[in-house]
Amino acid sequence: MVQYLIKRILIFIPTLLLISLIAFGLSKMAPGDPVESMRTEVESSVLNTERVYEEKAEFLGLNKPAFYISFTSRAYPDTLYKILKKNRRATISKLVAQYGNWPQIQTYYEQIRQVELLMEHLETDTLRESLRQIRPSLRQLYLSYRHKRISSLLETIESKVETDSLIMHTSLPGAVERLKRDYLNVRAESTKHLLYIPDIKWYGWDNQYHNWLTSFLMFDFGVSYFDGRPVSSRMKDALFWTVILNLLAIFFAYLLSIPLGVLSAIWKDSIFDRSTTLLLFILYSLPSFWIATMLVVFFTTPEYGMDWFPSLGTGELPPEAPFLDRFFETATHLILPVFCLTYSALAFISRQVRGGMLNVIRQDYIRTAWAKGLGSRSVVWNHAFRNALFPIITMFASIFPAVFAGSVVIEVIFNIPGMGKLTVEAIFQRDWPVVYTVLMLSATLTMVGILLADILYALVDPRVSYSIKKR
Amino acid sequence: MLIGVKKEKELADQLSQQEAMGQSYRDIVRKQFRKNRMAVWSLRLLYVLLFVSLTSDFIANEKPLYCKIEGETYFPVLRQYAVDLGLSTWEAKFFQTNWHDHKYEKVIWAPIPYSANTLDKKNTNFVSPTDDQRVPSKRFWHWLGTDQLGRDVAAGMINGTRIAMLVGVISMSIATLIGIFFGALAGYFGDDRFRITRIRLIMNVVAIIPALFYGFIARSYQLEEGTFGWQMLMGIGIALLFFIAFNLVAKYLERYPKLGQKLTLPIDIMVMRLIETVSSIPALLLVLSIVAIIEKPSIFYIMAIIGLIRWTGIARFIRAELLKIRSLEYIEAAEALGYSEWRIILRHAIPNALTPVLITIAFGIASAILLEAFLSFLGIGLPPAQITWGKLLNLARSQFSAWWLAIFPGLAIFFTVTIFNLLGEGLTDALDPRLKG
Repeated sequence: MVQYLIKRILIFIPTLLLISLIAFGLSKMAPGDPVESMRTEVESSVLNTERVYEEKAEFLGLNKPAFYISFTSRAYPDTLYKILKKNRRATISKLVAQYGNWPQIQTYYEQIRQVELLMEHLETDTLRESLRQIRPSLRQLYLSYRHKRISSLLETIESKVETDSLIMHTSLPGAVERLKRDYLNVRAESTKHLLYIPDIKWYGWDNQYHNWLTSFLMFDFGVSYFDGRPVSSRMKDALFWTVILNLLAIFFAYLLSIPLGVLSAIWKDSIFDRSTTLLLFILYSLPSFWIATMLVVFFTTPEYGMDWFPSLGTGELPPEAPFLDRFFETATHLILPVFCLTYSALAFISRQVRGGMLNVIRQDYIRTAWAKGLGSRSVVWNHAFRNALFPIITMFASIFPAVFAGSVVIEVIFNIPGMGKLTVEAIFQRDWPVVYTVLMLSATLTMVGILLADILYALVDPRVSYSIKKR
Repeated sequence: MLIGVKKEKELADQLSQQEAMGQSYRDIVRKQFRKNRMAVWSLRLLYVLLFVSLTSDFIANEKPLYCKIEGETYFPVLRQYAVDLGLSTWEAKFFQTNWHDHKYEKVIWAPIPYSANTLDKKNTNFVSPTDDQRVPSKRFWHWLGTDQLGRDVAAGMINGTRIAMLVGVISMSIATLIGIFFGALAGYFGDDRFRITRIRLIMNVVAIIPALFYGFIARSYQLEEGTFGWQMLMGIGIALLFFIAFNLVAKYLERYPKLGQKLTLPIDIMVMRLIETVSSIPALLLVLSIVAIIEKPSIFYIMAIIGLIRWTGIARFIRAELLKIRSLEYIEAAEALGYSEWRIILRHAIPNALTPVLITIAFGIASAILLEAFLSFLGIGLPPAQITWGKLLNLARSQFSAWWLAIFPGLAIFFTVTIFNLLGEGLTDALDPRLKG
């Protein structure tokens, strides 16, 4: 058994690695710059902005290489990750992808920055107006990689610099002239053949992925990109609601589905059986987000005269209100969401219970039990139901992740600040630390659930044994 | 035992006679399936849905099916196809005036004379089906109401049917292809029958590097700037070329005894691990996070992602079937005839394993449709102009008084999902050997 357990837990590792890689890869491919999405005050000067950006990037650990290795062409330098600004890095790689000559491109790019610094240096009251006309074009240059676009931008800047009487006599025209020359150089001295030589670079252990994964394994989930709070504290609040919702839903679902399933199996083909089977089938196919929307539309608004339930959320009584008041406030808010979660689990579970019972009731030992003259209660509950328990137990473990996913829908619709809503919001806000953590945790939950089911199975059914190799 | 070609023909004749007598496996299944009234009805309804989604342009369209303007005859709906293909262009007058405002001498409108995106400016702001609608005649009545922008809900529902069916069918086709591939590999070869020469294994592993590099990495600029789908296809083509070339080299080198030594790969274990891994990925969350980062949302990404995640059930089924089939006599006979392994798998093993997979496919389509509806309900993954059931349902949340937006799209999702679930149930019953009498 122990050996089997170890073997099963070892399988977790590649799965979690794969999921961590997918999540990490997604976060790298996602548009948007996490550093910029963190809200801070606007800095005025170029150098200051750069410094603040660097500090924030360092705080988020984004100043390291992304992964252990990179697989690119020879044309790319191995220090590309040191350009912290994500959109500038993207522009530079697109330039490299076209011309393949990193040194020239670097000179050109550095010159754009020099011009910007020079402009800041020159900025006085007399020149401010003229410089303001140039700045947008220059900023555009940072993000342009197509030849047409760059040359038209350069053209605009040059014409403005040379025609403006105030700027004409500063050092700016010279700098712009140099910028233009640098760009022409990039085009003239392209080394495209480098683009076709594969190059695998090793970055060592100090990289973003490694750091994230190791701290994740030590239960340090990082800080949210969105508000800088630790992910674990955000999750703790959210987990509370999700667990309450799901436990209530699973409890009610089992409470109702076991008698329903057992009775409809005993009275197979009776009117009761047929009607419950049909009803449960309909419930099973009813999309819960539809039912939830309908409930919200019809029963939480005065629109149709059926305003029977409080509107969305979890209630807003302050913490100093009496406990009972708060309890009832929350309870009334949870009725509809729990109902939605319950009915979809209910349909699934009682179908399984019925199937399990039907299988058992056909067996010889049930006939023997009847023949012995045992009472129907004893036969049904002691002999049949006990043996029909296995699928129900297995399900309990596997239903938990399923209900968790289901509660994403319900939480979003009923606006309950649980894990599901947190996840959806994090995905929309590209708050990757939260998304990583949720993905990893729910995958772990799924696998632990399946493992738990197998172990429970062995505990309930003495015939099942995992010690023997053949399972 | 050697069976000659003649014998094989005789056997085939016998088999076809058996089929003619209604004794083949498929016929038994069909007979069982027909006994289930609910399943048969859902199959019929499925045909209706397919029909609606194929002809949706003719059912809901702001353009007339046929019209006569200033003595000239047009078939605007048909013409739109030609325009889309670049074979024809619209005259200026069709741009200048809305389709509903032309002076027609003769006109036949589509049953719902609105497209999903037609903005009826006179009926904006959630006009109920029972309200006073400002329409010229009953013919232009919005039978299922409108949304805030004045779009006809009925037309949106027809468009949604097409999208739901597209998503369901295409994503499950992708899943089926992947599932059959891996399931057949694992089931047919098991752990001890997949034998490969040393050099071929090495060459295939080595080929990954240039295939990846020249197919995708070196072309990253083209992939980002060009048409993504086309460039992707080219990348896959280049990668395949590398694999073919490396395999040819391997074939040549196989003649050297050291390199040509055969190894046994435990392919079943490998595939099963892969299946376990993929199926413990939280699908909903993964799909959400992938779809949310795509900059140019398109329905095809959703299909591809669902297909890439939901193949494990099908692979499991195929594997189990092939494990059974592999030891049957007719496979042995085919082996004895000297057929190649791929021919046996493709022509003899897989066709006989396919029927049970229909169950998984039916349930899979239901869940794919649900997933797509949920995604568009959340408002991600589809371009804004594309109307789907999920989007219509979501509109109900912004206007509680619009009951028609809460009821009709949800009903459509419910009916479609039920149809596929019933089909799956019916197939399960029909294929269950315990019920076969």
